[in-house]
Amino acid sequence: MIAVDPLLEAGGWSSIWITLLKVVVAFGLLLVSVIAMVWFERKLHADFSNRLGPRVAGPFGTLQTIADGMKLIFKADLLPSKADKVVFRLAPFLSLVPAFLTFVVVPVGGDFTDGGSGVVKIAGNSTLLQVADPQIGILFVLAMSSVAVYGIMLAGWSSGSKYPLLGSVRASAQMVSYEAALGLSLLCVLLNSGNLSTNSIVASQSNWNWNLWATGIVPFVVFLLAATAEMNRPPFDLVEAEQELVGGFHTEYSSFRFAMFYLAEFMNVITVSAVIATLFLGGPIGPNFGTTGWLAQYVFPVLWFFLKVLGLMIMFVLFRTTLPRLRYDQLMDLGWKLMIPLSLGWFLLLVGFKIGDDRGWSPFAVGVVGLVGLAIGGGLLSIAIRTSQARSAEHKVGA
Amino acid sequence: MLAALSWVQALTFGLASLIVIMGGIGVVAFRNSVHNALSLVATLFGVAVLYVAQGAYFLAAIQVIVYAGAIVVLFLFVIMLLGVDKVESLAKERKTASLLIGSALGAGFAVMLLFAALAGAGRGAPTGAPSVTGVLDNTKDLNNIGEALFTKYVFAFELTSLLLTIAVVGAVVLSRKPSGDPIDLDEFPPVESGTADSEPQEVES
Amino acid sequence: MSQYLPILVMIVLAALFGGISLVMAKLLNPSRPTAAQTAPYECGIVEQTESPERFPVRFYLVAMIFIVFDIEIIFLYPFTTVYGRLGTFGLLAVIEFAVAVFASFLYLIANGALDWGPAKQSRKGDLGIDSARTSTSTIRRVGLEGREAA
Repeated sequence: MIAVDPLLEAGGWSSIWITLLKVVVAFGLLLVSVIAMVWFERKLHADFSNRLGPRVAGPFGTLQTIADGMKLIFKADLLPSKADKVVFRLAPFLSLVPAFLTFVVVPVGGDFTDGGSGVVKIAGNSTLLQVADPQIGILFVLAMSSVAVYGIMLAGWSSGSKYPLLGSVRASAQMVSYEAALGLSLLCVLLNSGNLSTNSIVASQSNWNWNLWATGIVPFVVFLLAATAEMNRPPFDLVEAEQELVGGFHTEYSSFRFAMFYLAEFMNVITVSAVIATLFLGGPIGPNFGTTGWLAQYVFPVLWFFLKVLGLMIMFVLFRTTLPRLRYDQLMDLGWKLMIPLSLGWFLLLVGFKIGDDRGWSPFAVGVVGLVGLAIGGGLLSIAIRTSQARSAEHKVGA
Repeated sequence: MLAALSWVQALTFGLASLIVIMGGIGVVAFRNSVHNALSLVATLFGVAVLYVAQGAYFLAAIQVIVYAGAIVVLFLFVIMLLGVDKVESLAKERKTASLLIGSALGAGFAVMLLFAALAGAGRGAPTGAPSVTGVLDNTKDLNNIGEALFTKYVFAFELTSLLLTIAVVGAVVLSRKPSGDPIDLDEFPPVESGTADSEPQEVES
Repeated sequence: MSQYLPILVMIVLAALFGGISLVMAKLLNPSRPTAAQTAPYECGIVEQTESPERFPVRFYLVAMIFIVFDIEIIFLYPFTTVYGRLGTFGLLAVIEFAVAVFASFLYLIANGALDWGPAKQSRKGDLGIDSARTSTSTIRRVGLEGREAA
């Protein structure tokens, strides 16, 4: 199996030009889709709360984002007097650049039916319809989310103000906590692909073997929730809980520096939707109705990919419009006491099934043993939680 | 492009080393502790790029995820949220003693590196030690690590889990009060009984 | 290594996008900030106290525990690529590892290291509040002067 983009291994100047073209196309696509996403989210959110939403700038208000961007460029760019000036200027970049970068590893097209590798030909060169397919593949996404923590953390600290500091402390603890759950649920996906490359992850899901059910819903749910928390989106948006912290970590930011955080936030929704589609929903895989050639390589895969991403984005907007914000202790309990142990247990269960499959063990027996193991783990966990509650009550009241 | 690869590699190595060295200098030279920590991040990224240049992709990824994503985040937490630089002024410490010891250790380390480099110069292995899996296959580094970890070094792997358990226990013990009470996670010391009444809502009827 | 060229190009493009936009903003926007504008934002209130310098122990504890768990998860990544060849031995190895992880996790939870609950609930009796203090005894009704005699 090819785990890397053949284009870049082949070499030659044409490969470099095609690479540059792909990067520029992806970059433009991201910018356009973020403009659309901001409009889409605001419009949908407005519809759900019985408001009109943007409707003046352009047809149906579609140019609202551009109008906002123009406005922000003309706004005064304030540097707070107590700010750490270097870090204050650096932080928006640490937020924006990872947001752009994550999309690089997402395959958007290519023919994967019947074990196809998704390789397409552009001007005589074989390549993949994704900007880059590094060997570490999906770990690159995790690495970028580790970097994104810095943007938020440093923005809050460098502002030299109270609300941003509180927001960024909350944010970093939250993002760090959910990164563990994110990594654990990812492991279940990797069991199926046996490779970190996003291209192989998609290829392993061909013939309707989507990870959504191949790993048994649980990793998908954990990943979805953890990613929502990682993006600081509602209902996990304690970072900028506006009733408490004004704007959270970017309270002191104005003008285009604020716009950079804003863009990064919405771009993250798009890239995370794309990553979830890649990991669990088969990315560009879908029926191509027996067609071959460019229809099967470009049109249908890109269409399916787009529809999946759109569906997930609607889901994220629905989260925002319908769910009330969690309290911080609920957020941390959900992350640490439920999602991490659950995904660890689920991972072991899947490993048991996989190895049992190879060895010819009865899946039923493996399932029973696994569930008993999970139940024992769950029982021990609830005992531990109760112990802690009893101890804290005893300590606090008796003191 | 194969002919061009050598200068690309040289350029990558040069730039990454520059980042590493500048970051290293920054860690020592900056006065603000947060800037020190950020320089450390730059160094770690430079090292990650060097790993990529050597074909150790998995190592590069975990370098970023673990070191930059977790360990320096903890450093920053401590620096930013503990007000360390305001409480303790480094200038007050005895500088000459630490300067002497530090430069002696640094010189020793430099000599050691030099010897290692000279010893391995003829054999193409700078560290003098052969790698576990021989020549690195670009697409298989993760498989190689996995195989080595779960066969040859499986005992060490299980010991690591023990080590990490000890680390967890250590973290909990450290955050306890000396008397061995359960962890007091409250932000401020608990309200002393008696002072709680002196709150402004005290009303004379 | 060549697989990482697009990533480098993307970094440059994203940074350029931010940089050029910032330069544009610099040229186009007014830059005569007043003292009130650059003061820390406190919803219009004049800042009277410094930003907090110390935060709860829990945050450090979470960061420390995260390091441990992050490393533990990282160890499982190589496992996903080779588990097929390891067979039962791999299953046992990873279960043993997971049991060690889970044991330390239970220890953490039982010690309340991951508790974030509002402490006030359990501390109510600790605050020295007299049970006689109710809303009727602490709230002074105004506008009754001179009427009570009547």
